[in-house]
Amino acid sequence: MLTANQIAARLPHKYPMLLVDRILHIEQGIGGTGLKNVTMNESYFEGHFPGEPVMPGVLVIECMAQTAAAVFSYNREDGSQTNSGKRPRYLARIQSMKFRKKIIPGDQLIIEVRMIKQFGPMLKIFAEAQVHGEVVASGSLTFSG
Amino acid sequence: MTHEEIVEKLKSMIVGRLNLGISPDEIDKDQQLFASAEGGGLGLDSIEALEIVVGIEELFGVGVEYSEGVEQRFYSLNTMAEYIEELLEKGS
Repeated sequence: MLTANQIAARLPHKYPMLLVDRILHIEQGIGGTGLKNVTMNESYFEGHFPGEPVMPGVLVIECMAQTAAAVFSYNREDGSQTNSGKRPRYLARIQSMKFRKKIIPGDQLIIEVRMIKQFGPMLKIFAEAQVHGEVVASGSLTFSG
Repeated sequence: MTHEEIVEKLKSMIVGRLNLGISPDEIDKDQQLFASAEGGGLGLDSIEALEIVVGIEELFGVGVEYSEGVEQRFYSLNTMAEYIEELLEKGS
């Protein structure tokens, strides 16, 4: 497990763009799970939308990307952190992303990421976000180093 | 599987997976895949290279791992087919 502080130490992202609260488990080189608590206090709810708070889909994708960055930054067999985990991996492609349900204040996002293929500096993953055991978003992301 | 059969399978896979919007027959087997279209190539990039690697693994059941100089093997359909023949031989 990784706490919020450990995630912050591992990712280049900082306030207000560090979106993932906890990493629940990591299966090295295979995948892992992250957690994001969504509260009414998130600043974007003021404008998205007034009177009808809905988490923007692009931020769900960002949560998936950050979960992947945290999970796949430990990819040495002995568990030590590689240099590549410290530098940002850039989002290069989004494929077949589907948003099935609205995410609203009070929801807890459980984000699962699974490696499809790592090839040199390129990484392709499958990501799925759930709320209360229901899939709310899923799709593939590709990162470049 | 013959060399030509591998080339044909690669053509269809690449055109389909990358949504190239051309017919598989429009790719020459010696055409440089990652050179710009102006330079006579197909104009593919590294993101599409990863997609091709995933496609090869699914289609031929082989593992394609990154190593120094592996780019050379992805120069054209011909060089790629030779590479897959080697991987298939290793696996059998």
